[in-house]
Amino acid sequence: MQKKGAQRERILHLLEEEGGVTEDVVRRISLETGVPEADIWGTGLFYTLVSKPGKRVRVCDGLSCRIKGSDELFSKLRDAGKECEPVSCLGQCDRAPATLDEDLEQVCYGVEARGIVPDDPELPMNLGGPVRDSYSSLAKARETGSDAVIAEIEAAKLQGRGGAGFPAHIKWKGVRGQKETERYVICNADEAEPGTFKDREIILRQPHLLLEGLAIAAYAVEAKDICIYIRGEFTSERRMIEKALEAASEKISDFTWTIYNGHGAYICGEETALIESMEGKRGMPRLKPPYPTEYGFRGKPTLMHNVETAACVPAIVERGGEWFKDLGKTEPGTKLYCVSGHVNKPGVFELPLGVTLDELVEVAGGYDGEPVAFSPGGPSSGFLPISRRDVPLDFGHLSKEGSMLGSAGLVVLNDSVDMAKATGWQLDFFERESCGQCAPCRIGTRYLRRQVDSFIGEGDPDALEFAEDVGWEMEEGSICGLGMVAAKPLESAMKYFPEAFGSRSKQ
Amino acid sequence: MSSTEFDIKINGRTCTASKGETVFEVAAREGISIPTLCHDTRLEPAGACRVCLVEVEGQRRLEPGCAWKVSEGMEITTESDRIERHRKVLYGLYLADHDLDGEGLPVETANGNQLRELAQKTKPLALHSVDAPRVGRPEDVNPYIAFEPDLCILCARCTRYCDEVEAVNAITLANRGSETTIATAGMRGLLDTTCELCGGCIDTCPTGALIEKKSPDPLPADAKTVRSTCNFCGVGCQLDLHVVGTNGTSRVAKVTSPPPGETVNDGNLCIKGRFAYDFIHHEDRITEPLIRGEDGELHPATWDEAITAAAEGIGRVKEKYGADALGFVSSSRCTGEENYLMQKISRAVYGTNNIHQCSAT
Ligand SMILES: Cc1cc2nc3c(=O)[nH]c(=O)nc-3n(C[C@H](O)[C@H](O)[C@H](O)COP(=O)(O)O)c2cc1C
Ligand code: SF4
Ligand code: SF4
Ligand code: SF4
Ligand code: FES
Repeated sequence: MQKKGAQRERILHLLEEEGGVTEDVVRRISLETGVPEADIWGTGLFYTLVSKPGKRVRVCDGLSCRIKGSDELFSKLRDAGKECEPVSCLGQCDRAPATLDEDLEQVCYGVEARGIVPDDPELPMNLGGPVRDSYSSLAKARETGSDAVIAEIEAAKLQGRGGAGFPAHIKWKGVRGQKETERYVICNADEAEPGTFKDREIILRQPHLLLEGLAIAAYAVEAKDICIYIRGEFTSERRMIEKALEAASEKISDFTWTIYNGHGAYICGEETALIESMEGKRGMPRLKPPYPTEYGFRGKPTLMHNVETAACVPAIVERGGEWFKDLGKTEPGTKLYCVSGHVNKPGVFELPLGVTLDELVEVAGGYDGEPVAFSPGGPSSGFLPISRRDVPLDFGHLSKEGSMLGSAGLVVLNDSVDMAKATGWQLDFFERESCGQCAPCRIGTRYLRRQVDSFIGEGDPDALEFAEDVGWEMEEGSICGLGMVAAKPLESAMKYFPEAFGSRSKQ
Repeated sequence: MSSTEFDIKINGRTCTASKGETVFEVAAREGISIPTLCHDTRLEPAGACRVCLVEVEGQRRLEPGCAWKVSEGMEITTESDRIERHRKVLYGLYLADHDLDGEGLPVETANGNQLRELAQKTKPLALHSVDAPRVGRPEDVNPYIAFEPDLCILCARCTRYCDEVEAVNAITLANRGSETTIATAGMRGLLDTTCELCGGCIDTCPTGALIEKKSPDPLPADAKTVRSTCNFCGVGCQLDLHVVGTNGTSRVAKVTSPPPGETVNDGNLCIKGRFAYDFIHHEDRITEPLIRGEDGELHPATWDEAITAAAEGIGRVKEKYGADALGFVSSSRCTGEENYLMQKISRAVYGTNNIHQCSAT
C-alpha cells in the first residue's frame, strides 16, 4: 500500500485529470497508484475543485463581490440555465463580481478596474514597468555567495508578505543551518485571502521577478528543488508561470522546478496545510512545532515564501538591503496594497509600507460614497471604523489596533453596507473554508455564522450573547491561524459598530 | 538522572522528564491528570480535540499536552481560570454539535461517552445547536459495526487507528469543515471495503459513535467483567468478557479488549475474538466428549473414555495399514506448545511424519 511518497503525491492531480471524485475514478486511481481507496476518497472530498464530477460556473461570494452584486449575478446565471456554485474569493476583487466559467477561466461581468502604479524604476517590483527578465540579481547572488545574500535580506528587514510578517532572513538561516541536505523552496501562490489579488498581478506582470527571487532563495539556502503551489483557480496565471519558466530555462536550469495545483481550499494557503496538500493529503494544518524550516515537504527542511516576498528579493540583492529598508514609511520596503470595495479605481498599488488608508485610496481614485468601515487585510483582520483612517497600514500598527495587515487586501465599505450582513458574509467564508480538524474552529465558525444569521433574521441581540466566549476560545484553542482569527469580523464589528447589532426589525 | 533526563515543572511541582516525552506522558507518570479525547497511546498524537490544552510558560496560546514535547526547565500549568474557561467553552461547542439527552448532556451509549464524563466535571457553556450537516452510512448492512454521526466528535481516532495500527485504511475523514464525517470509499458498507471488521475503531472511539451492532444498549450495572484468553488462535489475546445475568442464566453480552498497554494484544483484537462469541451460548455447541456407539448415535462420555476410544481407533488403523496411513492435523486454535505436542504424538508415538497444522498453508 502506498500511503505516502511519490504515488500518494499524484492522487490529486489524477483526480483533477479524471474530472473529479466518483467511485469508479477512485477505484481506478487506487489500482494505478496503490493508495488505499478510502484515502483517495477522503482527500478528494476535501477539495472543492475535485470533490464532485462535472463542470459548473463558479460565482465569487467574497465581500467585494457581494457588494458589487454577486448574489444577483448568481441568480441571473442560474435562471439562464447554468449550473452554478458559489466560490470563495477568486482574487479578482478589482473586477467584481468575479466568476469562472466551466473550465475555470475568468469571466468578468463587472468593470475591469485593475489599477496599478505607473512605471517607476525606483520601485522594487514595479508592476507597471517593463518586464524584468535579465536575472542579473541571480548572477550577482551567485558571485557574492550565500552569506552575503542572506546578509542583504537581513539588512532589508524583509518581512514575509504572506500575512504574518515574519522576518524572512530567520527562515533562510533556519533552513541553511539544517544538517539535512535535501531541502525545498516552496512558493506559496495559493493567494486566497479574500480581498487579496497582488500575487496574481506579480505573476501576470513580472513573472521573472518571482522566478528570480525563488532561484536566489534556493541558491542561498542550498536547495535544488523549487516548487510553486498555485491556486487551482489561477489558470491563466499558471500558464504565465509555465511560459516564463520556459523562457528562462537556460538561466535557472540548475534548479528543478515543479508546479503544483491547488484544488479549491483556502486553508491550503496555510504553510503546513499546503505541504500536506502537495503530499496528496487532506489540507489539514500540522501541529507546530516542528516548523517547515526543519520538517517541511516530505519531512525535509523547507523554505516557504509568499509570491510577493520572493519578488522583493531581486531588487534587494541588486540595490542592497539598506536601500530596500529605507523605501518604507513606518516599516521596511514597499508593499503591494490591494484595494477594492467602495473605491473608484480598485487595484494593486506598490507604495511605501505604512501609508494610511487615505493615502492609499487617493491613488485608488478616491472613495466611492461615504466610507464607514474598512477591512485592512481580508476577513482575518476584521473591520476597522473609518475613524482609524490615519493608522499606518503596516504590520505593527495594525496589530496594535487588534487587527492585522495580513496580505494587505483592503476592502472599503461605504454607508450603503449593512455591517451585520457584511459580518455574516465573512463568517460564512470561514465556516466554509475551515478544514474541520479541530473543534473550536469547526464548530465555532458554524456557531457564529448561524447566530449572526439568526440575529439578522429575528432582530434579537440575545442571539449573540455568547459570541465573545466562543470567539475567545477559537483564538485560544484552534490549531491554526484560520480558527484563531475567524471570529475577528464579528468581534470587531460588534466593537466598532454596536448600532448594527442592537435590536432590529425582523427580516 | 541520566544525561537525557532533566527537570520540568508541572503545576509548580518538579518532575523528571526525558527528551522526546510529551507533557501528557510526564503528567500521567506523576499522577497529574490531563483530560483528552483524541489521544490513544497507540497512535501518533493528533492534538485535534483541544481538550488537553495546557499553559506552557512563554507560549502565547494554550498548547496541546498530548503533543507538546517537554524541554529542560519547561513550566506547565494544567489547572487555571484560563484553562477552566477554555474547557467550559470548548465543551459547550462540542455539546452544540452532539446528540444530547433530556438533561442536556451527551447521551450515554453502550460504550459510555467520555464527552459526557467531561461535561459532568466542568459545566459547559449552554450554546444553541449548530445542526451540522454530517452524513452517516445508514445503509451499511455489515453485522458488527454501526456509526452514529451525531455522536461523532471527529477526533479521527478511528481513522488513525485503522491506518496506523491495522494498516487497513478502510475508513477516512471526508468532506470539510462542519460537514466533515467518517466515510468509506463511495460511502459503501464496510463489507464492500478493505475493512477486516476488527472492531478496533469501536474500541478507540471515545464517545460511542462507533458501536457494536450486537450490543447496542448500555449493559446493566451489575454486568461482570471476566478476563479471559481468546481461544480462536494461538496468539493468546486477552479478552474482557462482559457477562450479564446470574449463575445459570448468565451470558456473554459483549467482548472487549483490555485497555492498551495492559496485555500482550495492547488493546487490539481481530474479528473473531471481538465478535465471534455467539458459539458460547449456541444450542449446537458441544460441551462434553461424545462417542459414536454401535447404534450410530453420539453418546456422552467422560474424557478418559473418549481419549481411550480415540487411542484404540488410531492404534487399529496403524496395525492394519501402517503408520503412514495416519495423518495428524492440529488446529490453528492451538498454541505453539500444543502444536509441538501434536507433532510429538505423530512422530514419536505413532511413527509418522504426516503432521500438519491447519494454518500452515
Ligand atoms: C489560514 C491561512 C491562510 C493563508 N493563506 C496564505 C496564502 O494564500 N498565501 C500566502 O502566501 N500565505 C498564506 N498564509 C501564510 C502562510 O502560512 C505562510 O506564513 C507564508 O506563506 C509564509 O511566507 P512569507 O514568509 O513570505 O509570508 C496563510 C496562513 C493561514 C493561517
Ligand atoms: S483552526 Fe480551523 S482550519 Fe485550522 S486546523 Fe483547526 S479546523 Fe482546521
Ligand atoms: S473494523 Fe478494523 S479494519 Fe474495519 S474500519 Fe474499523 S479499524 Fe478499520
Ligand atoms: S467515530 Fe468515534 S473515533 Fe471516529 S472520529 Fe468519531 S468520535 Fe472519533
Ligand atoms: S474576487 Fe470576489 S471578493 Fe475577491
